[in-house]
Amino acid sequence: MIELTTPISEQAAASLNVGDTVEISGYILCGRDAVLPKVLKMIEDGTAGELGVELQGQVVFHTAVSPAGVGPTSSNKLEIESSIAPLSKAGIKLHLGKGQLKKETVEALDKYNSVYAVIPPVTALLGAKTSEVKVLAFPELGMEALHLIKVDKYPAIIGAAHGRSIYD
Amino acid sequence: MTKTYEEIAALVRDTLVDAGSTFRTDKKDAYRRAIACERNEQAKWVLEQILANAEAAENAHSPLCDDSGIPHLVLEIGEDCAVTGKMLDAIKQGVADGLRKLPGRPMGIIGNDSQRIDQSGGLDPDSAGVKPAPILIRRCSENTIRLHILMFGGGPAIRGKTYRVFHKHSTQVVLDEIVSWAKESVAQLGCSPCTLAVGVGRSHFEAASMMLQAQVDGNYNEQSEMEQEITRRVNEANIGPLGLKGDTSVIATFMKVGPQRASGIRVVCLRPCCCFEPRIASVELV
Repeated sequence: MIELTTPISEQAAASLNVGDTVEISGYILCGRDAVLPKVLKMIEDGTAGELGVELQGQVVFHTAVSPAGVGPTSSNKLEIESSIAPLSKAGIKLHLGKGQLKKETVEALDKYNSVYAVIPPVTALLGAKTSEVKVLAFPELGMEALHLIKVDKYPAIIGAAHGRSIYD
Repeated sequence: MTKTYEEIAALVRDTLVDAGSTFRTDKKDAYRRAIACERNEQAKWVLEQILANAEAAENAHSPLCDDSGIPHLVLEIGEDCAVTGKMLDAIKQGVADGLRKLPGRPMGIIGNDSQRIDQSGGLDPDSAGVKPAPILIRRCSENTIRLHILMFGGGPAIRGKTYRVFHKHSTQVVLDEIVSWAKESVAQLGCSPCTLAVGVGRSHFEAASMMLQAQVDGNYNEQSEMEQEITRRVNEANIGPLGLKGDTSVIATFMKVGPQRASGIRVVCLRPCCCFEPRIASVELV
């Protein structure tokens, strides 16, 4: 089991390989279909600093955040998968979700020294590992707003790294 | 003895919480068998995580999944029993109370027809803003009124399919088509292993109704030959839990075949129920 704590360094990201089992701790971002395109727009506009969180070394968990808890949605949804390359370019080191990604997305992860990890949809277990929840931006989106949460040892398997995919 | 509005609402409320937070005993048994047989270590780890999550959710009476689901109701009515409008109101109230107690994910969309389609009207912040699907009513042999509550997540709805199959007067042709659909949908779902719910009917409505009833009547410990064949053939595809490969892509198949007609087609409804589904609990209301 590999322990990862945010912010994840370039060296730590580079050391990860497909099939590695990891536990993720620290503050991580949560967003999915509705909000990730808005975050990309902020990056394009040069206003991402207004989020108040340094994107370099961060984790993006593809999930809604609601009273029901958190759990991965499919990362291969159009708006989510298309965010992976530009967010990696902006410094995100780990994208946390579920489902198979396209070859070009896997290659983009490699280009920017970022990885994709698959997390089981174990909402009840994750609830006990989540201690802080904060809306960072776009509160009008409710559970689909950009959230920052503090997590302790979220379990995951590296699903794509160094141009390889666990689904190949 | 007739129950009051409040008593029915309370029973429905607690049953919905059970449906959203509990694995039935036969499902736990099926997972334990799958863990024992799984040869892929990553797949085994995922199965163990899902079972541990089920135990944690049951103990805390909390959601199995953050997509807590859309309530789907099946109401069974015995010979001498009558359902009143007031009873339906009490069931509706119980569903709302249950969604708040679970708590369900507040994902109901508000607004007019167009706004509810494009999601421009915003989200209802109340968990009870998630309205149940229309109730399915059927007879039962016991002299009671029994309500089954099933919580339907979004992933299986994305990957499910209802379509006609030209059967060519061969059951095998229909089974082959079901297996073909299932392999594709299970691979795309993400939250496998699945339980495949299959309905076969004369119309899209009837096939979907059969699919719903298959989940009510299905049992992990009692599988027909057709159900076993579908499960075995999909598992041979080596999709595995969460698509990570392995022996366990499908835990079981629940199939219900309705009346058919003289025709070249059968309408098949397939729902690749995710690793937590069927999320179901039942209660007697008399």
